[in-house]
Amino acid sequence: MQIYELGYLILPSIPENELPSVVSKIKTLIADAGGKEIDGEEPFKYELAYTMSKTIGASRYVIDDAYIGWTKFELEPVQAVAIKSEIDKIDEVLRSLLVKVPRETGFTFAKAKALIAEKSATLEALEREKEKAEVIKEPVVG
Amino acid sequence: MKNYFKENKIDYIDYKDIDTLKKFLTPHARIQSKKRSSAPSKSQRSLAIAIKRARFMGLLPYVSR
Repeated sequence: MQIYELGYLILPSIPENELPSVVSKIKTLIADAGGKEIDGEEPFKYELAYTMSKTIGASRYVIDDAYIGWTKFELEPVQAVAIKSEIDKIDEVLRSLLVKVPRETGFTFAKAKALIAEKSATLEALEREKEKAEVIKEPVVG
Repeated sequence: MKNYFKENKIDYIDYKDIDTLKKFLTPHARIQSKKRSSAPSKSQRSLAIAIKRARFMGLLPYVSR
């Protein structure tokens, strides 16, 4: 058994309430191949670093933002290639990335977001303190 | 020479961790040379792979400016 991580981008044209069905499509594909889910994060809207495009049938979609999500699972290496090609065939999936990972990777988008929020909160608090200090320093005219 | 990954106890360089990866990009979004990043060869190789994966997933740009 090898541990894999599948990162995927889902088209932004899909309404948020239909996202779970797309995610379950991906997860059932993995489960059918005998994969055991270890970890993962639900997709959320993300602004892409560059414009991508996807052609479905005769129409070409130009995409600036997408839903990004990932899932980590244990799988027999023989199944991996098959899974990747099956997932790329799903119309709603813009791109997918299947990589080998160690069991403990530690990073999650939720943690990163929390860290950024914490940093900006402390910065704001510092600024507020500075402002207060300046107000006190101002000489009283009278 | 300081090793960023050892100092911050990062064993696995994740392609999703763009805040860390961005530290190792030049203003033109190219990967910094080993000389500039001062990362050991092993980390530099896995860093380059992580950045390329992040680019494919649209988390980091291929070019900038």
